[in-house]
Amino acid sequence: MAFFKFNSIRVAGVACAVPKNEVKSETYKSLFGDEEVEKFIEMTGVHASRRTFEHQTCSDLGFRAASELMAHKGIKPEEIGALIFSSHSPDYRRPSTAFVLQYRLGIPKESVCYDISLGCSSLVVGMQTVASIMNSGDISKALLFVGDTAGKSVYPEDRSSAMLFGEAGAVMLLEKTGNPSDEINALIRSDGSGFRYMIIPGGGYRNLHASEEVVMCKDGNPRTLMNSFIQGTSVFTFTIFDVPRLIKDFFELTQTTSDQYDCFAFHQANLYILKQIAKKAKIDFEKMPISLDRYGNTSGASAIVSLCDRYGNDSEKKSVKVMACGFGIGISLGVTSFEINTADILPIFEDDSFYEDGLITDPNQLYQKKNDSQHS
Amino acid sequence: MAMEKLLAILKDIRPDVDFENETELIDNGILDSFDVVSIISEIDDVFDVQIRINELDPENFNSAENICNLITKLKNIENKQ
Repeated sequence: MAFFKFNSIRVAGVACAVPKNEVKSETYKSLFGDEEVEKFIEMTGVHASRRTFEHQTCSDLGFRAASELMAHKGIKPEEIGALIFSSHSPDYRRPSTAFVLQYRLGIPKESVCYDISLGCSSLVVGMQTVASIMNSGDISKALLFVGDTAGKSVYPEDRSSAMLFGEAGAVMLLEKTGNPSDEINALIRSDGSGFRYMIIPGGGYRNLHASEEVVMCKDGNPRTLMNSFIQGTSVFTFTIFDVPRLIKDFFELTQTTSDQYDCFAFHQANLYILKQIAKKAKIDFEKMPISLDRYGNTSGASAIVSLCDRYGNDSEKKSVKVMACGFGIGISLGVTSFEINTADILPIFEDDSFYEDGLITDPNQLYQKKNDSQHS
Repeated sequence: MAMEKLLAILKDIRPDVDFENETELIDNGILDSFDVVSIISEIDDVFDVQIRINELDPENFNSAENICNLITKLKNIENKQ
């Protein structure tokens, strides 16, 4: 049982950013045909998504979100004691992207920074990690970055994924409060038997120089070993059985019921899956903000994107009790609950900037003297 | 009785398909993966039977009779446990 309960720690704010480039699903009709695209839109609910350009990463989007959130909260970089970046879309194969963000944001050396390699469950597992660090250490404020640029690893003619993913970077600020009634709960599960269901088989150290030959796969989609593979039916079945059970167990462990939550910020896998989960877990679908129709499946960032979409311009400034749920690649799944004031949920930012000093196109760039003054 | 319930599920999901007589639902591409997932989800709700990934052999979904046999088999296994 991986159930966690943290007191005196709260979610002090969330923010996210997306690229400006909008890709409408219907533009794929010339590639996949009208019927295929219309069926896809009906099933997944994805009408459009946002895509980064070649050198923009989700850490760039997270950087914008964090800059906005820290300015909004009046927090200085030196107050941050932990920075965790949870994603499958790092800037480099090594080092951890967390260090790049630490440097760009000017967060002090007396902080703990590292990456977690997760996708759609990044928010829940990341919150558990950050809260654990805070709970056992002397850190009072921490930043959790989540997000992916999943579209970059999809073969362009893979009809199972080409239209599905959107790209986003999001950040959550957690802080110690000294108030025991501030509570974060988390229930996490993992099922390694499904590690093949969502995978990029090449490019890791098992097959570092995998062939990039395009192969027609048994599901009728072309891909290379360096592309994302999703076994849709397997993923669907795991989702519709295991996620509702996880949520029901969470209700029991926290002795709460569905009607005690104001908002169910769930990973935006696809609309069909979300409706199935809501039905099976007896959750009011109206309380589940939907962002995938305009932003696509934004992986680990999607719950925050949905929160920012629903409450980002809320003028009521009210406290809302949120259940967040993430599930996907691994297989990893988790659910968490927390309260947040809507005044601390920022609207979605659009950003096309990228960290130019981080783009290494010539190895000799690495031998240049670093300019400590450049944090932009 | 089980077959009647199953046919109701199947017709609700795909009213255009002749489930009483069709025996190559998967092999002939009549049902796609979304249909299969919808059927699995409804079977879970109605029969309280969870068809897991290792049972996703296309043969199990080629006809209403095969699906019904799979439900019966899984029910029997569950009852023995």
